[in-house]
Amino acid sequence: MGLIDLQIAARSLLQHSKRTGFLGAAIASVTILMVLLNGLIAGIDDMMLRSATTLMTGHVNVGGFFKVTSGAAAPLVTDFQKVMDDVKGEVAGVDYIVARGRGFAKAVSDTATQDLILGGIDIRTENGFRQVVQPLSGNLDDFAKPNTALIFETQAKKLGVKVGDSLTLSAPTARGTNNTADVRIIAICKDIGLLSVFNAYVTPGTLRSLYQLKDTATGALQIYLKDHSTAPLVAAHLREVLEKKGHRLMEPDPQPYFQKLMTKVNREDWTGQKLDVTTWMDEMSFISSTLKILRALSFLLTLILAVIIVVGIMNTMWIAIRERTREIGTLRAIGMQRGKVRTMFLLEAALLGFGSTVFGVTVASLIAIIVNAAHISVPESVQMFLMTDHLNLAIHPGGLASAIISLTLLVTFAALYPAWRAAKLQPVTAMHHIG
Amino acid sequence: MRTSTLLTLGLLSILPGPALAALTPEQTAQVIKTLDERQKSVGDYKSLAYMESKERDKADVVYEVAIYRRGADQKLMLLFLQPKAEQGKGYLRIDKNLWMYDPTVGKWERRTEREKIGGTGSRRQDFDESRLSDEYTADYEGEDKLGAFTVHRIKLTAKEGVDVAFPVMKVWVDVATNNMLKSQEFALSGKLMRTSYYPKWQKLYSESKKGEVWYPQEMRFYDEVDKANSTLIIMKSVDLRPLDANLFTKAWLESKSR
Repeated sequence: MGLIDLQIAARSLLQHSKRTGFLGAAIASVTILMVLLNGLIAGIDDMMLRSATTLMTGHVNVGGFFKVTSGAAAPLVTDFQKVMDDVKGEVAGVDYIVARGRGFAKAVSDTATQDLILGGIDIRTENGFRQVVQPLSGNLDDFAKPNTALIFETQAKKLGVKVGDSLTLSAPTARGTNNTADVRIIAICKDIGLLSVFNAYVTPGTLRSLYQLKDTATGALQIYLKDHSTAPLVAAHLREVLEKKGHRLMEPDPQPYFQKLMTKVNREDWTGQKLDVTTWMDEMSFISSTLKILRALSFLLTLILAVIIVVGIMNTMWIAIRERTREIGTLRAIGMQRGKVRTMFLLEAALLGFGSTVFGVTVASLIAIIVNAAHISVPESVQMFLMTDHLNLAIHPGGLASAIISLTLLVTFAALYPAWRAAKLQPVTAMHHIG
Repeated sequence: MRTSTLLTLGLLSILPGPALAALTPEQTAQVIKTLDERQKSVGDYKSLAYMESKERDKADVVYEVAIYRRGADQKLMLLFLQPKAEQGKGYLRIDKNLWMYDPTVGKWERRTEREKIGGTGSRRQDFDESRLSDEYTADYEGEDKLGAFTVHRIKLTAKEGVDVAFPVMKVWVDVATNNMLKSQEFALSGKLMRTSYYPKWQKLYSESKKGEVWYPQEMRFYDEVDKANSTLIIMKSVDLRPLDANLFTKAWLESKSR
């Protein structure tokens, strides 16, 4: 098999231009659909990582729970500076670490209420926060002032508030005593998908005063890594390190901290401090089911399309073999071996598959570039799942290469049986064939 | 009708009334102690209550709740009977832990004693024996008028080390009957969180106590933070006869939803 075989395959494809064009267009269409579908899912993944690691979690978190009594737990790390010292220097590839307060409160405006997950953040240390959270009104610099709050546009709409208005935050302390804090809204920021529906931010001081916490307590240490894919390994390493240094740790459990607090921690019979090391994937597991469904649907659709391609290719190959039976007979009569005939047909299919998928991938990439540049808005209900307010298709080179390889192999595989049948034809019978 | 009565009570409460001699700290403490004593049943207690919850942007919900208490060991159990969606749900206090049972998942969850009951504006202490004198220190603020009633206005501050839902309370106690007619509960920040009215009191003779047990037949709770929310509780019946010995168990409560 060499250049000549490839030339023969290419010429044969060109000779039957109508059939080649029809089949090529079908394969290219499937490729476009597959690439765009994967781009959509990758886009959601990318946005989830970006928004989640800005709004709710670090790549790795050293959080925990403190229980005053076995029935009253709070998401706290007491004496966090000591934990920070124990963590620092133990993890390779750290970009930065921040201490962020965690809490829940009912936000009450003059006209409405909303339950919110509160983050206590010091804007001066949160390097990534400013890059992702975009204020629509107000100024992020004012967020360093005491008793201020940062909310998102959906929350502002629901609560009927604007920058400068006051909100009352009402929540029980770790001991179950009711408390409130009055805060002034200093910025209303652009929504970042589902997470910005229920996450809002106050200064660490406000959160501490609301929950009556000491300055030595925080919600979690959020560790940002240079390479987020190493998060599971870093988390496993940190568990070992913290355990060796005498900290009590919770069993690894891929659930967000607020789910653990509501369903698990209060049921357990212990008091005091336990640390909980999680990754951003653990903290986001409550929305990963949506992604799993989307992935399953995408897989099902791709499978159906693949079956259609296989049937289409096999059918077209059968027709081609019937049309070219005398040609096959002649080739066999002048000495072409069975294996060569088989290879010739397989090469034709592979060439067709490769050319069509490359074309499909190019078109899909162009569509993705145009869609991303157009900033197409999506309805509010869809924003929840897409984690963004506009359509975002993430096309990665690896994904494109895998689409080309997998679809070319599939097309070649579909041609396997017809090629084998063509190779089995007797030269005499084939030459006498009237097609 | 009730709302207008309460409005009148509220309006009249700001009018100046005849001056009474201020109570001494001992007398003030005694008023609160008497308030507790009069509601203490010593033996068992069972009541059926209707609870109407109004919340902003939500449909009003009416619950029917059975309340069981055993004074001897401070046991308490609440069992939701209506609506159908809440049937079998319950709260049980064992020692100092309050457990909530959700029959839809068949699981028990430990809750803080100070949280809201069933998501309404009511709390555990609204159904429990009054323990104000154990939990709070009383300070006399003055005499007041609440509608036609002359009342003592007393400020209650939570005692050191005692966990309560509201660290500061103000209570309005009827001078003539020593029934509490109104209370206000404040957050740690000093913000008024809830105003409660107790316009109707009833009494029953208790064999175990060998005396009368008083209970508020009607309780109205107004959320002062989210002002659209309120809860009304009406005690339909109260029974002080002894209850089953094994009633205050998780198994008994679970059996009610099977």
